[in-house]
Amino acid sequence: MAIPSTIPILGLPWDDVLFVILAGTMLLAGLLVVTMRDIIRCGLAMMVCFGALAGIYVMAGAPLVAGAQVLVYIGAISVLVLFAIMLTQTKVGPTRLVFQTQAVPAAIAAVILVVVLVLTIGATQWGGTGERGETITADLARVLFADWVLPFEIVGVLLLAAVIGGVFLAKRDRPASTDDVE
Amino acid sequence: MTAVARSWGRLTLAGKILFTVIPILLLLTAGLVLVVVLFGKPIVDFLAANIWLVRFIVAASAVLLMSVPTAFLIIYMEMKVIALMNLRIGPDRVGPFGSLLSVVHGLKVLMKEDFSPTGSDRLVFTLAPVVVYMSAVMSLLVLPFAPGLFGADINIGLLYLFAVGGLTVVGLLMAGWSSFNKYSLLGGLRSAAQVVSYEIPLTLSVVGLLILTGTMSLNQISLNQAGWFTNWYVFQQPLGALIFFIAATAEGNRTPFDLTEADSEIVAGFATEYSGMRFGFFFFAEYVNVFIVSGLFVALFLGGWNAPIAWPEAWAIHLTFDPGSTGMGLLFALLLVPPILILALAAPFYVGRSSLPWWQALIIGFVLFNVLAIVVVGGWAFISLDWVAGLLWFLGKTYLFVFTFVWMRGTLPRVRIDQLMGFAWKWLLPASLLNLFVTALAVIVINPR
Repeated sequence: MAIPSTIPILGLPWDDVLFVILAGTMLLAGLLVVTMRDIIRCGLAMMVCFGALAGIYVMAGAPLVAGAQVLVYIGAISVLVLFAIMLTQTKVGPTRLVFQTQAVPAAIAAVILVVVLVLTIGATQWGGTGERGETITADLARVLFADWVLPFEIVGVLLLAAVIGGVFLAKRDRPASTDDVE
Repeated sequence: MTAVARSWGRLTLAGKILFTVIPILLLLTAGLVLVVVLFGKPIVDFLAANIWLVRFIVAASAVLLMSVPTAFLIIYMEMKVIALMNLRIGPDRVGPFGSLLSVVHGLKVLMKEDFSPTGSDRLVFTLAPVVVYMSAVMSLLVLPFAPGLFGADINIGLLYLFAVGGLTVVGLLMAGWSSFNKYSLLGGLRSAAQVVSYEIPLTLSVVGLLILTGTMSLNQISLNQAGWFTNWYVFQQPLGALIFFIAATAEGNRTPFDLTEADSEIVAGFATEYSGMRFGFFFFAEYVNVFIVSGLFVALFLGGWNAPIAWPEAWAIHLTFDPGSTGMGLLFALLLVPPILILALAAPFYVGRSSLPWWQALIIGFVLFNVLAIVVVGGWAFISLDWVAGLLWFLGKTYLFVFTFVWMRGTLPRVRIDQLMGFAWKWLLPASLLNLFVTALAVIVINPR
């Protein structure tokens, strides 16, 4: 006697409910990112958003991608964003939105984006629901490092160039006396 | 006992409720287990059919429950060991050799006022310790304690550990920002800079190991190191192990890299404004992290649960005694053996020293019997159950490293922040890259396709 595969009264599969919860969290957190006033809280909401996305990756059978998502997006990128905000902002400063100087162009751009999205979604042929399988990490590695090794290497070189460029930009304005690396 | 009684008198209402509810809950749990054992054939069938769910819930609860005693033990160890290194006595008031001091610490932390400073961001201020503690407890879930004794054998276990362990810094940043205090903000910024920098050598130092093992599952890595201690990866990856150890010290915010809370420079960093149980969670999380880092080092480089010596199969002692097979005899033995043995052990003392009152002799007999019983039962379990032996080996090695961390805290001075960053980027990162390249080259040379 195993647990029924659907929720007893509602008749929904557990997976769907979990997906709705995760996706709802993600959408809500995403909305909070752009609407909240306190910029640090926005950053934290962004982390919640990334975390929910990692949960969806796990549900889709890609735990490796989910792990990388948490490691890179939450553990590194969001932390760096917060770090930069904390270095430059003070809590006693004004908390009003400082980006609202271009409301009219932004509104036009947003409307155009919505129209394009709606048109695209409406025109796309959504096939049947795909198979939800377990992506074995070894298979992923085989695809990445055998079939698509050239694009992978090119992306690596691109990232290396970006890193060196960043170091160069950070170093250039500085007088030669300081040697602290940040 | 007076200290406990006084602590009880000073508990807040919430603390009193908590301390009455927890024993009641324990009793109820015991009763539930009894009910399940007595008339639980359908219940057991149901649980057996959903063993994955049961396993998940049990693992999650066990990990959550074991984190508190682990933290208590390491806190006591740190106080006592550093005191002995400083030629002090250290805790000696509560319990034998002060060993129950951590319990009183817990009570003290619970009865303090739940305070948040003016101007702080209340929500973030409250959630920060939760995030830090959650990341510590979630990391425990994949540590392989013994053969078959682990929360989950995820095939990306190591990546999961780094990802979840990296969440600690989010909590520290939240604490530093929301405290509305310059020292706290500095502590949060330092922790972000430090953890992001040291995560790179930490991750790179195990990539060489991953090339050798071909798996990221900690369980599989432990299995790979079975046999003699020469199979342990520390001998194939000495540089990687060293880098991992140093970087892990920095990741766990331990001396000499505890700049996030450097009390001589920025008071206590992110924890300056915290008091009561919120501080308690930071405090616990730090010591759980020490345990995790030590356990991770043991699992990766020191053979995990494997004993250092692999006896030849012919020498192995096989105990075929199964307690369950004796049936009703076992019950009688359990009833009769303890009193008889206690009396037998007490008799020589009573006869030999006529000045000894009979009840003192009985107490001596009781203690001796307990020691004997623990040795006999423990020895039987060690020989015949391999997970007991594995658990003991794993915990032994892990606490050796916990001791090393405590030792480092007792002896090493704190580094400066620029030395810290320079060391990570100029020395550890190139060294870990060198380790990776040498390992890859060696694997290609030795083992060409």
